[in-house]
Amino acid sequence: MTEPNNQIDKLKLEQVGKEVTIPQGVRVVRQGDPPVHFYVVISGKLKVFRETHDGIRTDLTELGPGDYFGEVALVTGKPRTASVEAMDESALLEIGKEEFDSVLDQNPKLARQIINSLAQWLVDGDQRLEKETVHQVKLRQISWFDYLLILGLSLVLGLVFNIYNDNQIPLVYSVHTAAGVEAIPLEKVKELYKDKQAVFVDARKANFFEKEHIEGSMNLPQLFFDLQYPMFQFMLDQQKVPKDMPIFVYGGTTSRRFDIELANLLEAKNHRKIYILAGDYQAWKKAFPLVEHEKKEVSAMPLGWSGYIEWIPVGIFLLILIPPVRRSPYLSAICRLILGIIFVDFALSKIMRPAVFALNVVEYGMMPAWGVNLWALILPWGELVAGLFLILGIRTRAAATIIGGMNIIFIIGLVNAIYKGLPITCGCVGEAGEPVTWWKVLKNTGMLVMALQIFFYDRLFVLDRGGFIWRERKI
Amino acid sequence: MAGEKNMKTRFLIGTMILGLVCGLFLAGCVESRTPYVGNYQSMEPYAGKGHVELELKENGEANWKMPTGKTIKFKWRVENNRIWLYTKEGAILLITPSEGGKKLSADMTGQWHPSCPVDKCILFQRVPGALVPEGFTPFSRRAP
Repeated sequence: MTEPNNQIDKLKLEQVGKEVTIPQGVRVVRQGDPPVHFYVVISGKLKVFRETHDGIRTDLTELGPGDYFGEVALVTGKPRTASVEAMDESALLEIGKEEFDSVLDQNPKLARQIINSLAQWLVDGDQRLEKETVHQVKLRQISWFDYLLILGLSLVLGLVFNIYNDNQIPLVYSVHTAAGVEAIPLEKVKELYKDKQAVFVDARKANFFEKEHIEGSMNLPQLFFDLQYPMFQFMLDQQKVPKDMPIFVYGGTTSRRFDIELANLLEAKNHRKIYILAGDYQAWKKAFPLVEHEKKEVSAMPLGWSGYIEWIPVGIFLLILIPPVRRSPYLSAICRLILGIIFVDFALSKIMRPAVFALNVVEYGMMPAWGVNLWALILPWGELVAGLFLILGIRTRAAATIIGGMNIIFIIGLVNAIYKGLPITCGCVGEAGEPVTWWKVLKNTGMLVMALQIFFYDRLFVLDRGGFIWRERKI
Repeated sequence: MAGEKNMKTRFLIGTMILGLVCGLFLAGCVESRTPYVGNYQSMEPYAGKGHVELELKENGEANWKMPTGKTIKFKWRVENNRIWLYTKEGAILLITPSEGGKKLSADMTGQWHPSCPVDKCILFQRVPGALVPEGFTPFSRRAP
């Protein structure tokens, strides 16, 4: 489009065109307008740029004295391919189409020069297009390495941090065996229950006990055994329970057998007739009369700013309804920042005390016992690494995929908890956290939509693969 | 050169955002233990045997001494005007201070409730030997 030359004086001598002054910030030609004039820059500075329908502006070049523009549209007869705006007050020689054609007819040297510059512009354009295409392909590529990087970092950081953490937990929770504790068949236990010849003890936390327990049973949460055992003993004394009366311990989940652990603890306290229920750990729910409080709601602890920021993803549904906004890379950049902050916040609230988070995982009752501690150690680091990658713009598609995957797992866990009516807190952010509700599911769905938006449309402010280089948008 | 400068600026912005995120987190969770450091005793006998004693140490450790003489160790911290006691297994006891930290109510359910459930609540009061400096205002607890 531009080529410094000495044609200005010549054109002036030929008395073609007229000199015009363009104030700073004024657009001389506008992309899409019909071609009317050819311009030669006498003084000042101008910027050439293109804009897409969704408002993405790409700077093409800057023009100074001796440069010219507007010839492409005049030669092709097509609308302007770019806009030109004065960066400083500029003086231009404005030549009409007829004059332009006449100058070209009478000035073969100038014509050749314009043809040369047009050809060069086309060649440069091809090269830029190829470079940009390669760039876009690279941006859209996701390799297994990206996932390996994020997951590997999370695994290594989680395991190494656990070694130095004061609140260290074992990698695999050792499942207590029932060795030494006799398991009695349900039919026999039912007879004892009917004759009131046994004490029944629920080993689960108080919230589970309150929701549903065997009628007449006592609650001694295994997790607070040392604290609550004296009260349990006191209650047995108050009720004048004979020392040799059998005690049946029940309560367990897929993730932890609280009943076996509590039975072992009671045996260590010299209770001689401690038993557990044989067979399915949930069979007691059908075998005995129950006391149920289905509608008892879990109290919600205020979460502060973490609670508020989680509402932002809910608003994403409104933005997604607007097609140009839905595809906007600017929306992706905002989604990345918000999602990144939320996940970093999620992670930091769990990283320091993995045992607390492990118990949250146990309460969902979906994870096998051997996986609980590993999950509790690695997931928060996965949230942190993926969140930071989103904020910094590193491997954003892979980070968005992993965060989207986490959200799917969270949604499944939440829906399962709601359907089962589990009296638990979310365990998502904060240690006492928020109760499990459909609102929480909606928030997580919003985050999932944000992750999808990033996956498909993110292309601004990202660090390029192959090196920490910010992607430049100049074409 | 312009590209490098641009890159540095953006890295600076990225670092500032990260700093802001971490700062917000830290500002939200680091609260001083000092106002609550001290010795407490249950106001009523526990399990009909005697008083429970609770010692909250400055270093974040806590000792819960049962009437039977058994001592249970916890870690503790302060967040949102509440004392959080952690067992080694990850269970949490939430304790709500009142009267400027002179009294504590421990929710023995292991869950959070807006107020301590009457039948599952142990009330403590500070006993002489408390380590809190005189004149310390408990409601300006944020760490510098």
